[in-house]
Amino acid sequence: MKEDLELRAALKAALEPPDDQAAFVARVMAQYDNALERATIPALDVLASWFRPGIAAAALIAGFFLGRVALAPASPAASESIDAAMASAEGTGVAALVTAQDPPDPSVVFTSLVEPQ
Amino acid sequence: MASSEPDKSLVDKTLAGDRAAFGVLVERYAAQARRVARAVLGDPDDADDAAQDGFLSALVKLAQYDARRPFGPWLMRIVANAATDRRRRRNVRRAEPLDPSLVGGGPRPDALAVRSELGDRLRAALAELPERRRTAVVLFDAEGYSHGEIAGILGIPEGTVRSEVFHGRRRLRTLLADWKEQVR
Repeated sequence: MKEDLELRAALKAALEPPDDQAAFVARVMAQYDNALERATIPALDVLASWFRPGIAAAALIAGFFLGRVALAPASPAASESIDAAMASAEGTGVAALVTAQDPPDPSVVFTSLVEPQ
Repeated sequence: MASSEPDKSLVDKTLAGDRAAFGVLVERYAAQARRVARAVLGDPDDADDAAQDGFLSALVKLAQYDARRPFGPWLMRIVANAATDRRRRRNVRRAEPLDPSLVGGGPRPDALAVRSELGDRLRAALAELPERRRTAVVLFDAEGYSHGEIAGILGIPEGTVRSEVFHGRRRLRTLLADWKEQVR
């Protein structure tokens, strides 16, 4: 695509700002310090902006877990579950595990621990 | 400070805290930035606000500038984005209808008025173009950027830039030819 000098000149003239360029440069330079000053603050701004959604998210998660605990049916205490699991593992099962020639089937071991009933 | 000092050197000095070096950069690119912002926004006051935002934003982001690339397109991208953001915020109209008094014939005015009339017509014609097209055609025809550089400034493929410039300048050239015919 060729350069069109006539169009270039006409466009530049049409878009030329009406006032003095020096005034514009002075206006920009007057904000030099403010701009640099503001640029050092964003780190705090970012932290602050994260802080509010962070609190909201934490409150939601806490509410979710509290709700689950409050609505969950009564279940045996954790210590009871462990005792039950140990009890089911005692007896012939333990002896078989120790004396067996082949390695135990993991699914049997895990099932006996996870689902003691 | 010599005004012929390369952009890269001025950028380095600015990064080192030399305020005057940034002043030279602003002086060097002020006219271009104001024209590009005006191409996006139309209104000269809005355009100056956007150009100022662009320069100050560039100052803050100067450490991110890749000195292996030319400074102008990098700066114009920031200025064009600042202008687009301002247009969105202020909800500036995308297109302004041509003033019927500008289209009509009328008596032949003096040379200055003729020039001014052409400017009015071109601005009106630019305002009729979609924002991306008028920015592309201004960057190409008024500011002399290459298609590749404009693609980088506007964040669009080079082929799209070629198409936008082609359609945009066709409209403007038609208007320019009509105007020349009229004042002859």
